[in-house]
Amino acid sequence: MFQKTRLPVLLFCSVFVSHPLSAQIINKVPLSERTTVYKMDVQLDTDAKTLSGNMEAFWINRSTDTVPDIRMHLYMNAFRSNRTTFYKESGESPGEKDQDLGWIEIKSFRDKNGLDLIPKMEYISPDDGNREDKTVVRVLLPEATKPGDTVFVNIDFETKLPSRIRRTGYNDDYYFIAQWFPKFGVYEPAGMRFVTRGGWNCHQFHANSEFYSNHSVYDVTATLPANYVTGSGGKLISEAVNGEMKTQIFRAEDIVDFAWTAWPGYAEFKDKWNNVNITLLIPEDRNNQVERQFTAVKHALEYLTENVGPYPWPHLTFVDPPSIGSGSGGMEYTTLFTSESSYFMPAFIHDLERVSIHEFGHAYFMGILASNEFEEPWLDEGVNSFWTDRITDHYYGKNSGRINHPLLRVPEVTLTRLSYIMSPSRQAVSNAKYSWNYPHGTYGMMSYQKTATWLHTLTGIVSEETMNNIFREYYRKWAFKHPSGRDFVNVVNEVVKKEHGDRFGNDMNWFFDQTLYGSAVCDYKVSGIRNRKYQKPAGKTNSVDAVANEWPETDSLYTATAQLERIGDMMLPVDVLIHFTNGDEILENWDGKARYKDFTYTGYREIQWVKIDPEFRITMDVNYINNSITEEPKRAPLHRLINKILSFVQFFLSIMLL
Amino acid sequence: MKIFSSLKSGFCHALKSWKGVLIVWFSLFILVLIFIYPLRSSLNSAFGRSMITEKLADGFDIEVFADLGPALKSLISFFTAGFMVVYLIGFAMNAFLTSGLFGSVRKKSGKFSSQEFFREGSKNFWSFLIILLIIAVIISFFSGIMIGVPMIIASLSENISEKSQYTTMFSAMVVLLLCLPVFFLVADYARAWKASHENDSCFRAIGFGFGQTFSKFWSSYIMIVLLIFSQIILGILILLILPAWKPVTGGGVFLLLIISQLSLFARLLLKTWRYASVTSMMEETTNIIPEYINIIQDEQRRSN
Repeated sequence: MFQKTRLPVLLFCSVFVSHPLSAQIINKVPLSERTTVYKMDVQLDTDAKTLSGNMEAFWINRSTDTVPDIRMHLYMNAFRSNRTTFYKESGESPGEKDQDLGWIEIKSFRDKNGLDLIPKMEYISPDDGNREDKTVVRVLLPEATKPGDTVFVNIDFETKLPSRIRRTGYNDDYYFIAQWFPKFGVYEPAGMRFVTRGGWNCHQFHANSEFYSNHSVYDVTATLPANYVTGSGGKLISEAVNGEMKTQIFRAEDIVDFAWTAWPGYAEFKDKWNNVNITLLIPEDRNNQVERQFTAVKHALEYLTENVGPYPWPHLTFVDPPSIGSGSGGMEYTTLFTSESSYFMPAFIHDLERVSIHEFGHAYFMGILASNEFEEPWLDEGVNSFWTDRITDHYYGKNSGRINHPLLRVPEVTLTRLSYIMSPSRQAVSNAKYSWNYPHGTYGMMSYQKTATWLHTLTGIVSEETMNNIFREYYRKWAFKHPSGRDFVNVVNEVVKKEHGDRFGNDMNWFFDQTLYGSAVCDYKVSGIRNRKYQKPAGKTNSVDAVANEWPETDSLYTATAQLERIGDMMLPVDVLIHFTNGDEILENWDGKARYKDFTYTGYREIQWVKIDPEFRITMDVNYINNSITEEPKRAPLHRLINKILSFVQFFLSIMLL
Repeated sequence: MKIFSSLKSGFCHALKSWKGVLIVWFSLFILVLIFIYPLRSSLNSAFGRSMITEKLADGFDIEVFADLGPALKSLISFFTAGFMVVYLIGFAMNAFLTSGLFGSVRKKSGKFSSQEFFREGSKNFWSFLIILLIIAVIISFFSGIMIGVPMIIASLSENISEKSQYTTMFSAMVVLLLCLPVFFLVADYARAWKASHENDSCFRAIGFGFGQTFSKFWSSYIMIVLLIFSQIILGILILLILPAWKPVTGGGVFLLLIISQLSLFARLLLKTWRYASVTSMMEETTNIIPEYINIIQDEQRRSN
């Protein structure tokens, strides 16, 4: 039978107190509720490409519901055939041969007293009903779990790693081992993330989706050949070599996933930022990138600590996979992440830095805040992309975050915006979709770039300082508590109200309704400038225009009008800068709601030019070209560029034509 | 000493043919302008009265063009197609113009005559075109072998380190760069010989090019490397100056155009120096212009 207790702490002690690890606690005070705990003892078979072993784990029912079952992810079964949901959605194949496939077999499934639960197991497909997909298993409990009770499971399992690495798998002697063990879903009681009814949130493994898990404690004992160098999201507690094999014990606390890697070719480098010990695993012959990697990660640590909140773990490991393991690059597992680089990467292109900064940033939004990436991918990937842009442009140049070359400078924020505005499917759907439901292949653009773009726009509206305060408050309020999108919106509303009063209305919902929950585009246009000269009246008139009555003989009086237009359906407040022929400038603020808007001025001056959003703060505007009009366009920079193209083509031809 | 006398003689002949170089420059300018001018008009039209182009004052700004939306795709298509057309026309035009240049840098050619230049161009056009095509194919094939084979071996080898892969590729590139002057020599000798032997076939000229290149390999090779090196020095100077120069006024932009075109003219002059030096080397080391030698001998007899 299931071991259930209303005193989970006692169970925790009963499970782990006899273990020597009980004395090894990374965080003196738990950072999270630790709703689930895993203790695993596995062996890596480098011939069969399998991991086999035992897992003891428990889940605490922290809700007020009586829960009749448990649900667990068996992610590795996504690689079992090309009929799984993962491969049906991706249209790819896991491979033809048995050795290419990946799977996880439950050898035994028992409670603490040894009761066999396999007959109670049932594969379910809650998302698409695909009977061939075995990535979620439901175990009906003989006795429902009461509030506060704990469900303990003891599982023997064998995991076969796939040969085509999609985040996880092997290639030759390289292993990246993720999504490899039976893992509890998240039980969400009514009210959590605004769900109306309590239930398991345990989705299938989709091609376009990441994950959602409780913060957990992991004790992992791994046995593998002694020549392998390993890294994991945990802290290495001990290592014992026994002939050609070695056994390592890792412990990780308050993280949402435990992944690890093993490869004989790694070189290990260590660095430190404040109290965080940073370990980098990188191919031995790629050590020319070590300094760039550490610098990037330390930049991210510094910036996010200052503007969002502290990084709470004393350890961090990141991996720069070899080219044979490139499929595992650019992925996050909180205290472990993978970067991407190669031996030759020009220093002026900051791709390496961007990937490391981005994947580290997930430690905050996927790791600490731990939102549901299945259902609200934007809350992790989009928010993290926003911070990646900011960090990269802050440290590598406001105008050169991505590329910093005398001939070409490209900021990160620009590339993010362009990915959104240039997408033909930018209006296909709103951000409020489950990750696998984005149509037209828009998952990436929507959840990463569109989100980051509207967050930059929000920054432009409420100011950078307010945005920082929003995230500080978001972190303070929701760290380790799995916030939803609406929780984030509520924080925005609170902070903006506190800092700006009613300047933007009663709340900021109008913004999110259009950007996050809507699919409209933003496009403002200056449609014209009209300068109408007054005719000087004969003699003294009774004109209501006092200015007209008093104009000097030498000056001309004008009615000058800047004509603006809202082309898109999105309505955002914008600044309008109007420049007059006498050098005067007026900065107007337009609420952006009307389709057409005129700003009219009477005086001894004509309007020379008009710019909507002169500081380019509204990054959601899909066309900056029509944001300005001048009577005298300065084309010299454009013509200079064309002249250079002319010369370039001439030189090219003169070289190529022998 | 043959090297320096050929270089000196070639330099004099190249200078003497400056009008021919001017014709080449002008032809190239007009050809590219025909392609660039519509691009300029399209961009002017697309940007209309917008002030967005001011963002280009500090250099190229990808955002300025990206916001063109569908117009950008048309412009890219136009640019790509136009570039291909210009390249193909340029290829044919180059055969005509180099034929004229090779004709005018020969010893026996007297004062530069544009009429003679065009006559030589038309006379050897097809031969020069075929020579160019054959040498271009050989260079492409050789480059493919030199770069492709190490790349395939490196990608198939599972145990080779990344550093070794890059070292292999870099070494292959260096070897290729060292080999390219050999093909230039073959092309130049073949064209120089063809310019002197209008009745012989272009294939024979290529055969002569190979023979001459390898029979006088070191002197020819060192000479052409020196000549290419001079072009590289000029190229580096141009790359250092022109891209960094960002005038924002109409006058400044016009000055930039003038300087760019002068640089191109200088480059074409250096290229002509290469043609003339190779021609001179050929004339010095072969007995292929008996009539010219006869004239010299006649003159010597008369003077005695």
